[in-house]
Amino acid sequence: MARIFGIDLGTTNSLIAAMEDGAPRVIAVGGNHSALLPSVVAIAPDGAITVGECAIEMEPHLTVERDGRVSAIGFAGGQYGAVIRSVKRYMGLGGDEIAPEDRARYTFADLSGSVVRFQIGKRVLTPSQISAEILRALKDGAERALRAAGKDEKVERVVITVPAYFNDGQRQATKDAGRLAGLEVVRLVNEPTAASLAYGLNKRATGNVAVFDFGGGTFDISILSVKEGIFEVLATNGDTHLGGDDIDRVIVDWLLAELPDALKLDRHVWNSARMAAENAKKRLSDVAETPVAVDLLGHSIRKHLTRDALEKMAEPFLARALKRCELAVADAQLTPADIDAVVLVGGSTRMPLVRQRVAAMFHKEPLCSIDPDQVVALGAAVQASVLMGTQGDMLLLDVVPLSLGIETMGGVMERLIHRNTTIPTSVAEGFTTAVDNQTHVDIHVLQGERELAKDCRSLARFKLGPIQPQPAGVPRIEVTFLIDANGILNVNARDERTGREHSVDVKPSYGLTDDEIERMLEEAIDLGEQDLEERLLISYRNDAEQILGALRKQLGEFGALVDVGERGRMDEVVERLEAARTGTDRELIAKLVEELNEVTTPFAERIMDAAIKLALEKKSVEELS
Amino acid sequence: MIECPSCGRRQQPLLICADCGSPLAATLDCFAALGMPRKLTIDLGALERRYHELSRMIHPDRFASSVARVRDASLRATATLTRSYRTLRDPVARGLYWLELNGEKLAENNKRVPPELAELVFEVQEQLAGMHDAPADSDAACELAAQVVARRSQLQATMDASRAELERNFVKWDQRPDEKMLTLELKAILSSIAYLRTLIRDVDRALENSKAA
Repeated sequence: MARIFGIDLGTTNSLIAAMEDGAPRVIAVGGNHSALLPSVVAIAPDGAITVGECAIEMEPHLTVERDGRVSAIGFAGGQYGAVIRSVKRYMGLGGDEIAPEDRARYTFADLSGSVVRFQIGKRVLTPSQISAEILRALKDGAERALRAAGKDEKVERVVITVPAYFNDGQRQATKDAGRLAGLEVVRLVNEPTAASLAYGLNKRATGNVAVFDFGGGTFDISILSVKEGIFEVLATNGDTHLGGDDIDRVIVDWLLAELPDALKLDRHVWNSARMAAENAKKRLSDVAETPVAVDLLGHSIRKHLTRDALEKMAEPFLARALKRCELAVADAQLTPADIDAVVLVGGSTRMPLVRQRVAAMFHKEPLCSIDPDQVVALGAAVQASVLMGTQGDMLLLDVVPLSLGIETMGGVMERLIHRNTTIPTSVAEGFTTAVDNQTHVDIHVLQGERELAKDCRSLARFKLGPIQPQPAGVPRIEVTFLIDANGILNVNARDERTGREHSVDVKPSYGLTDDEIERMLEEAIDLGEQDLEERLLISYRNDAEQILGALRKQLGEFGALVDVGERGRMDEVVERLEAARTGTDRELIAKLVEELNEVTTPFAERIMDAAIKLALEKKSVEELS
Repeated sequence: MIECPSCGRRQQPLLICADCGSPLAATLDCFAALGMPRKLTIDLGALERRYHELSRMIHPDRFASSVARVRDASLRATATLTRSYRTLRDPVARGLYWLELNGEKLAENNKRVPPELAELVFEVQEQLAGMHDAPADSDAACELAAQVVARRSQLQATMDASRAELERNFVKWDQRPDEKMLTLELKAILSSIAYLRTLIRDVDRALENSKAA
């Protein structure tokens, strides 16, 4: 039987690990023999894909050339290709669920669908497809590393970790990504639970463990009881949109505070600032103060960030995380004093403030002897060996993070499975008809903790039937809702009188259908040319709209910086582009976008100059006063 | 009778095949699933040991490489096991389940106030209404909130007392299995616990709202 590998598909970095001589080890797949593969995917205008360190170099950013000039390089998005980072933040979301701060980062094909779709160059890609590229890079990298070590082994069966607080849709999207990468996903394992396995806590005395997992994009807290090799999760809580990324964003806002809005949103400027912010944040774990610089066209922003200031910026996010901890401890029916060990996971736990606060909350020094970037992947490898039957004494009993229920009369959510119920679990519920000769019963499945259906997340709609025409209330259909060991819902229905299985027509509210996945698998082989044309046209139109909108805004704010002749040339191209935009000639749209870019470049540079001068003047006035 | 998906042996429904030890997706009551005697009092230590022991034998993690048929049996058997464990572990859930096994059910969302709680409930509701009407941040609102917090601990203490009484009665009922009386008494005490639970939830929500305001 082929070996099962453990994969940590992270927001910032991804890793693959396996058991080697009875101990979990990460496999070097990144450059420089690093185990960390940055979860960054670059898609060139022609559709070529690059993952990892090389993809970071293609991110739109500003760079200082050898002659001192600053130039803007990288795939700027839309028709120019794009570089997607933190794709995990988009996993399993519908187009209308993207967080406002995540919306400006990329060009989306369609924001109304049940799945986020990125518009990149010639392709439209879902988060699952982009994650599949990361998984494929891990697979290829691991196979290469194994070959170099003299082992001709294929990576086919894997365990993938997910945030404990991931909902059904986010879990399904992760599983889909594995399938699209050609992998058999034997199990999804919750990240904090995996981390507890890596620490080999079963070798310790019986006790309660809290795992504090603060990563790049997600936060989880899990409370476990460990007893004779059984790891039983008592409660879990978290926030799938809370992590180091959020802190970086606040630093960027501070860094770019003096720039006008139009410039702040420029992807080159923003990304350069984000890189500077992330690096400064990391340095401040070791030093008390650090310079932060962003080189813009012709000028540069130079500021100083102290650890104190950083901690003030991080405080609200940490407060949110600690609130979640309180809830999890209460749900486990424990108090912080009942916790025997605290484990730190995720890069954001390197911040001294995070360590202090966690220690203060649980009244003990947290464990952090295993690299917080690797611990989840190592734990995934341990769980993989449990699944292969080579860790006979260990067993993981995890829970479902969110309650599951159905919509009842008056739009009320009726809870069928409560949060923190051990999985796998199932519940059977009887249904009948409300009117005579009704042939179908509609069931709306929800996930969440709120009282009203509209405040919970829609999971799926099921149509039971066809039911034989009978008087109202006579048919008896028993529906079994089963949550499997991956935390994913399965439904089946049975006629209580005949014992016959009923067909269940599932319409997931978010996510991909099986047919769509099949299509994507085919598409991966042969980029379906047909609707490509149409999608390309839409993406070019979106680009045109974007540049026209940006220009309108800039002219409003900085109109004085344009001379009459220049304005005439701009207006002329704008007029032609406005006309072309409603037509179907995408080559023409592309050409005019290019042309408009050209005639407005000197203007853009002048805006940048003026803005920076303004910012500097303002600052010196402030300093003088 | 149930057929083992691994070895094909037909046997009495259990979660594990008597022949080959494979999981069986049998439909069982919670006591039978865990092999515990059908009694209201339960040795929680023994229950947990039994749960862990069975989990080790039938959990899907043990059958990740088995054929689909066996994987499915493992999934369903484990779902039955975990649900049974949760039900029996908690005295209130166990009591409610006992009623269900005997064809009785507590009315959902019972609005009738248990007589012994009438006075307490009346006072709490008065305070909640006062808190709702008092202008936010006023001294009156703060004072009322403090009163409600004190009242909440009183409610919690009453609930804890009821739960303790429930467990004491379990012993009594197990020794004197007069079905009729048992059901009546069990119903009375469970409905007052259910009522208190709803009331505490309402109090918590009101306190949360006043904090938010």
